[in-house]
Amino acid sequence: MDQLQAAAEPALPSAQAAPFVFSGSGREYFGIWIVNLLLSIVTLGIYSAWAKVRRTKYFYANTQVAGASFDYHGNPIAILKGRFVALMLILMYQLAIRESGAIALLMLVAVAFASPWLIWKSLQFKLYNSSYRGIRFGFRGTRGAVYKVYLLFPLLSGLTLFLLAPFAHQRLKRFQHSESRFGATHFSFGASAGKFYQAYAAVFFVWLTGVVAVSMLFGGSLGALGSVKNPAARGAVFAGLMGYLFVLYVWMFLLFPIFNTLIQNLIWNHTQLGPHRFRCEMKWTRVVFIACTNILGVICTLGLFTPFARIRMLRYRIESMTLLPESSLDEFVAVTQAEASATGEGVADLLDFDLSL
Amino acid sequence: MIAVPGLYFDGRTSRAYRVQLRVEAGIAHLSGEVARSCALAELHVSEPARHAARKLTFPDEAYFEAQDADAFNALLQQTGYRDSGVVRMQRSARGILFGVAATVVVLALGYLYVLPFAADAIARHLPAGVERAIGKGTLEFLDRHVLRPSRLPAAQQAQIVAHFRRLKPPQAGAPSCEIVFRSSRIGPNAFALPSGQIVLTDELVRLMDDDDEIMSVLAHELGHLHERHLMRRLVQSSAVGAVVTLLFGDVSAVVANIPTVLLDMKYSRDAERDADDYAIAMMKANGIPLSHMADAFEQLKRKEGGAAMPYLSTHPPTAERIAHIRRAE
Repeated sequence: MDQLQAAAEPALPSAQAAPFVFSGSGREYFGIWIVNLLLSIVTLGIYSAWAKVRRTKYFYANTQVAGASFDYHGNPIAILKGRFVALMLILMYQLAIRESGAIALLMLVAVAFASPWLIWKSLQFKLYNSSYRGIRFGFRGTRGAVYKVYLLFPLLSGLTLFLLAPFAHQRLKRFQHSESRFGATHFSFGASAGKFYQAYAAVFFVWLTGVVAVSMLFGGSLGALGSVKNPAARGAVFAGLMGYLFVLYVWMFLLFPIFNTLIQNLIWNHTQLGPHRFRCEMKWTRVVFIACTNILGVICTLGLFTPFARIRMLRYRIESMTLLPESSLDEFVAVTQAEASATGEGVADLLDFDLSL
Repeated sequence: MIAVPGLYFDGRTSRAYRVQLRVEAGIAHLSGEVARSCALAELHVSEPARHAARKLTFPDEAYFEAQDADAFNALLQQTGYRDSGVVRMQRSARGILFGVAATVVVLALGYLYVLPFAADAIARHLPAGVERAIGKGTLEFLDRHVLRPSRLPAAQQAQIVAHFRRLKPPQAGAPSCEIVFRSSRIGPNAFALPSGQIVLTDELVRLMDDDDEIMSVLAHELGHLHERHLMRRLVQSSAVGAVVTLLFGDVSAVVANIPTVLLDMKYSRDAERDADDYAIAMMKANGIPLSHMADAFEQLKRKEGGAAMPYLSTHPPTAERIAHIRRAE
């Protein structure tokens, strides 16, 4: 039945799983990256705002789903202003942690209170300046909710020895996804805190199993050496201990991609845009492989591999996603500027506070 | 006349309209499921990418997406459209090669000349108060973790301070400094803090054979203060850190730290050589034979057994520094 429909409407398919496709190439992006880098350094960072627009436009134009691509509309001047504010804030923070006493504490509190608001405005900027099929995305959110998910919950999770961390994480993602909209259609988020606890527990047990296995492996040989009294053997024990710590560190490093993959899959498999659903099928083995080979490549080429590394990871992440439309994708409606302003999205004076090049 | 097939999105709904694009007398015409005309000057053409469709955006954000890239590019050429200089550079092999070469040259020149020069200018023009405010908490921190109160007799401390006060700095404008005596867990050590304090450990005082040797160590530290090395290092390492993060930060924060540390070491060694020259000049200005300074370094070298120097930062090889002092004699 689906196939019949697709045959009748070849150019504009609907109601059929639509995989995300990324067509960026490392070679092509290398040109953009190196020119961006040169101009950013020569202009002492000022060009970096234009660089960000060029880079993002390239990534968005090369991301396609259901036969159409994305577009980015960020204004470089707004990005530049936001960067200046963010830089001042970082400087303030740096000075504050060097100082001590009441002024430092005051500055830290000021930075802590400013950050959630800045993140919120950045999200609004990012989404409002992204579009698909000519319809802009948007982000609503209220000040109260922003401070809850970016300040209160992280604080609570810290105070409870991170027992609340999965809950705080779930609330953060729920906020980010359910406040996002595509035109007038809202995203919704259905992953419960319980699911986050399951994911965290799974990663914790994988970690623990690894630590126990490594400890048993090293513990046996270390114990045998420990009973020997001569200094050469003591040196070997020390070397063994360093090796043990190194293996534990590498294990932690490998665990990050596993954790990210689990969470990413969880989040997108429980996100909906109106009636349309998503599927995310990232494999942690592949992510670990890409991450490790990327680091090796960047080190061996003294940084010249960076743009290729970026494209590789982006391609895998994007192409792991599939859009599962419930019906035709032709029926989304845009939100006018006036409507956006009425819901608290003052889009005219948005700034981007992100510092990445 | 070229007709380019493509999709039109009106910016109000997500519906795709199948259209054809033609250009006549400076006006673009869309025909098909939608008809629309617009002057070329009001349209915005997206930058080219090998695998992405190019877009033609109208003033109201409605856009046309070309489905035939070759036909669209031919049409652009016919209308006399030219990509911006930056785009042409990004897309030509020669432009990219130039980009790589120029970036390497700019980074190398910046690292070797521009950054040290700029850091020096910034450090000299900042009021001394700023530097002192930054270093205010350092001594308290060290006192809590590494240093203990000095056990040297007060008379000996006073004598060292008085002796150093009598010495003439090699250049006018030497900053005021305070000599602070401490005992330490990290052995013979002397270092200057941005606050203008020079910390001298009991272990170092005991290691030296005479006061003149101690004076040469103090002169070296005064050199760091006078030349504003601490502020300069702060500016330099922040700038190096920022550029390295730009280059490597995307991939891994840990990887980004390695070149930062390596690149910063050269600045540290340069500062040590500067301070040695300052101490040599100060010894000469006060008629103290340089053999005392060389002996002081020999003592430290012997104590350390050729391993790391007992200062807070990285230093040039001691043998090289001693040879430099002997040559200046």
